[in-house]
Amino acid sequence: MTNPQLWLSVLEVGCFFGLLGLAYLVVLQGSGFFNLTIGPYAMLAALAWTGLTIHAEMEVWSALAVALVAVVVVAALTEMLVVRPIERRSGGSEFPALVAVAALLFGISQGAGLLFGRLPLPGQEVLTFAPIEVAGASVTPSFVLIATLAVVAFGGVALVAHTTRAGRALRAVGDNREAARILGLPVNRVRLVAFMASGLIAALAGIAFASRGGISYDLGLHWALLGFLAVVIGGTGSWLAPLLGGLILGLAEVMVPYYIGGQFADYAVLVCALIFFGLRPQGLFTTRVRA
Amino acid sequence: MAAARRTRSGRWVPFLLGATGGMILLVWAGSNGYRLSIVTLMVAYALIAIGMYVPVAWAGSLSLAYGAYGAIGAYSVAVATTKLNLPVWLGWVAGVVLAAVIAVVLGVATARLLGFHLAAATLLFATAFETWLDNSLWLGSSNGLVGVPEVAVLGWRPGQQAVVTAGVGLVLLLAFAVDRITASRWGVVVRALGQSPLVVSSSGTSTGRLTIVVLALGAAVAALGGSFFVTTVGGITPETFSMNVVFLALFMPLLGGIGTPWGAVVGAMLTVQLTVQWEIFAEGGGLFVLSVAVVLVLLLAPSGVLGYLAAVGQWAGRLARGVRRAR
Repeated sequence: MTNPQLWLSVLEVGCFFGLLGLAYLVVLQGSGFFNLTIGPYAMLAALAWTGLTIHAEMEVWSALAVALVAVVVVAALTEMLVVRPIERRSGGSEFPALVAVAALLFGISQGAGLLFGRLPLPGQEVLTFAPIEVAGASVTPSFVLIATLAVVAFGGVALVAHTTRAGRALRAVGDNREAARILGLPVNRVRLVAFMASGLIAALAGIAFASRGGISYDLGLHWALLGFLAVVIGGTGSWLAPLLGGLILGLAEVMVPYYIGGQFADYAVLVCALIFFGLRPQGLFTTRVRA
Repeated sequence: MAAARRTRSGRWVPFLLGATGGMILLVWAGSNGYRLSIVTLMVAYALIAIGMYVPVAWAGSLSLAYGAYGAIGAYSVAVATTKLNLPVWLGWVAGVVLAAVIAVVLGVATARLLGFHLAAATLLFATAFETWLDNSLWLGSSNGLVGVPEVAVLGWRPGQQAVVTAGVGLVLLLAFAVDRITASRWGVVVRALGQSPLVVSSSGTSTGRLTIVVLALGAAVAALGGSFFVTTVGGITPETFSMNVVFLALFMPLLGGIGTPWGAVVGAMLTVQLTVQWEIFAEGGGLFVLSVAVVLVLLLAPSGVLGYLAAVGQWAGRLARGVRRAR
């Protein structure tokens, strides 16, 4: 339990899931529903980046730019072409949106597999330096990347949400959509921007995480589920909440296989989910409304 | 989702169409082993889809654990026959009972969940279950189990064609039964449960018990699909009823049309056509096409293919009446 290398791993994995959870939270505030395609966005960005670098022999940074732009465009298209018309048509029912998102999840995963192949690919190096020894653990470039990204993303989103007009609009829409619409806020535009921003966050997270362990087309579903759990466990009361949820999941995904066995990570995550769903479905951080 | 008004003839028409379709399929398959295995897959998927349709359409609760229930049905038969040397029908019964019990347990654990949370929890369960299958040596881990003996009724071996025919019959029977129950008094109560639980509980019916019965029924039907598959094919692996099947089962009623269990049947046939028969996109490309098809269906024809056809039929009827009046 005192192995610092393990804890570093927990931090790294936890930050990644936390970032995915943050992407979920941004979309949740902007549109009121859980966009399960965030997992495939992260996967697509990483796979596109690596695939373009390896197969199309693009230069690393231009491939990175292409991958990021592609995912943000896909996110925008998701909102405009699929979510908006279906939500408008189905009124209050969640079911069609859920099925559409599930279909997109599969469509994007399989599409990525068709485009870039089904074999797992290694991530590309963005930062390269020899691992630094800190208190008995070696800090790898991928850890620095993810941790920095987490700080920037969480801090950035919290800052934007509380100081800019766009951020206020996002929070207003998240609090009460109808009221925001009556007040004249551009609800549809806010939603579109939320989708694109969450796509960007997910893409960056996927790229950073892939440089640690590689990427394959079927990781989208797994990441989608874990990101969702991160935001459910953390709660929606604070912009930092998904990070806590992600860290808890990181514990399950790193410690359990190390001490018990590889396959038990899945069981541990299931038990975690059922516990939180059953006992505290609103998550750890909730917005307290003063009467 | 407009539920079609169910007149007496309204319930028989889909059944007759389904029976005709089933007969055409069986004639097409003949005694060709490959074609029979395609129909087998359609039957298994259709049963899983019907099993999934029941809680969704009746109680509005979407569970994605149906691949697991199908696997339970299949593995029960496999274990009963290859490891315990028990007769096949005992395996079927055990599979149905086990699946129902697990569905109830899972239902209780997820009792207060709705929508996305319920879908995520059941999907996690399906993942964990598949991992467990993969890692259980006594179940053959990722190689699965083989050697399930051919069906033999009192010494008579009916052969693959007869068994598959029986499977098609089972699908027709169950779809018809689900349809009738939906229109019956009990079905109306259960569907009201999905729409307004408060009304149902204030009328004195226990919502908890109803939901549990519905969940158990759905799981039982799905388990039948798995049992049928392994009985006909002779073997089972963890991948047969994996996650992909769950989403296929989800898409099937959608493709076919969610107002009726026949939608699940039509959807199953379309799904197998798209994912198995499509030679160009052999490896999962069919799944891509299927996903795109589902999104298109959601956008353009939310009542599914059957709903679309019904709408076309209505339009054609109006056209014919207009022509007649103009004469």
